[in-house]
Amino acid sequence: MLREEVGILVVDDVNTMRIQIRDLLKQFGFKKITLAAGTPEAKAALETETIHLIMADWHMEPLDGMELLRYVRNHPQHKNVCFIMVTAEGVKEKVIEAIRSGVDNYLVKPLTPVEIQNKVYGILLKKQVL
Amino acid sequence: MKARREQIQEFVNELSGFATTAEATLKKIEEDLEGNKKLFSVFSERMIAIRGTSLQLELPHIAEIAGLSEEIAVRGTDAQTRPQIRKCVGALFDALTTIKHLLIHHDEETGEEQEILKNRLQATLRAFGGARPTVTADEIEALLRNRS
Repeated sequence: MLREEVGILVVDDVNTMRIQIRDLLKQFGFKKITLAAGTPEAKAALETETIHLIMADWHMEPLDGMELLRYVRNHPQHKNVCFIMVTAEGVKEKVIEAIRSGVDNYLVKPLTPVEIQNKVYGILLKKQVL
Repeated sequence: MKARREQIQEFVNELSGFATTAEATLKKIEEDLEGNKKLFSVFSERMIAIRGTSLQLELPHIAEIAGLSEEIAVRGTDAQTRPQIRKCVGALFDALTTIKHLLIHHDEETGEEQEILKNRLQATLRAFGGARPTVTADEIEALLRNRS
């Protein structure tokens, strides 16, 4: 699949962050980027768009990124979607919790273009989306 | 990509909603210190959002105060006595006021008052047992590698 065809869902309750991540992804040639302000919106997007990768913030109200991760991993159609947790959460026990819950990768804010590029391409190649 | 100044302005506008939630939460805790101390978790969630976005927008002073506030709020949920809870509430009100001020005046140098506040927050946090242990990006990589 070409990177222009890869569907990426960016989920963050802070609009500034959503825009930043979208702009960074566009720099790397990704075009099909859907933005969601929270877990309910993200769940709706999964039903209407073709999504290959979710980049979700952890701390969102009322349903956080972990809720979304568990929903995705338990969903028969979406369980293999790549999932990167994008968060300022660096507390060890929380990171371990995310890894145990099936996150594919973990990005700690502040995000750098190099890190985004490495982790996004890395997971898309590993899961043979690209 | 939008200019940094424009992004910061958008964030400042967006923050007013977060600050309102955080302030309302502190007021609720103040009304019933022991009964509502679990609401510190709402405050810490808002602080982590402010910290993450501030780091992204290269506003380290705001990120630092938000980070200290987040940890104090986490400790606040476990505080055992009314004076301890009250101390957390007081520190967090000061921190929130400072964050709002710094966001509006993000171009200015940080003043002595902010440094004093940071020291006070650090002392408060130390009194409650300090910040939770965090992991570096390299340690996260290692944890991910070890899983598979």
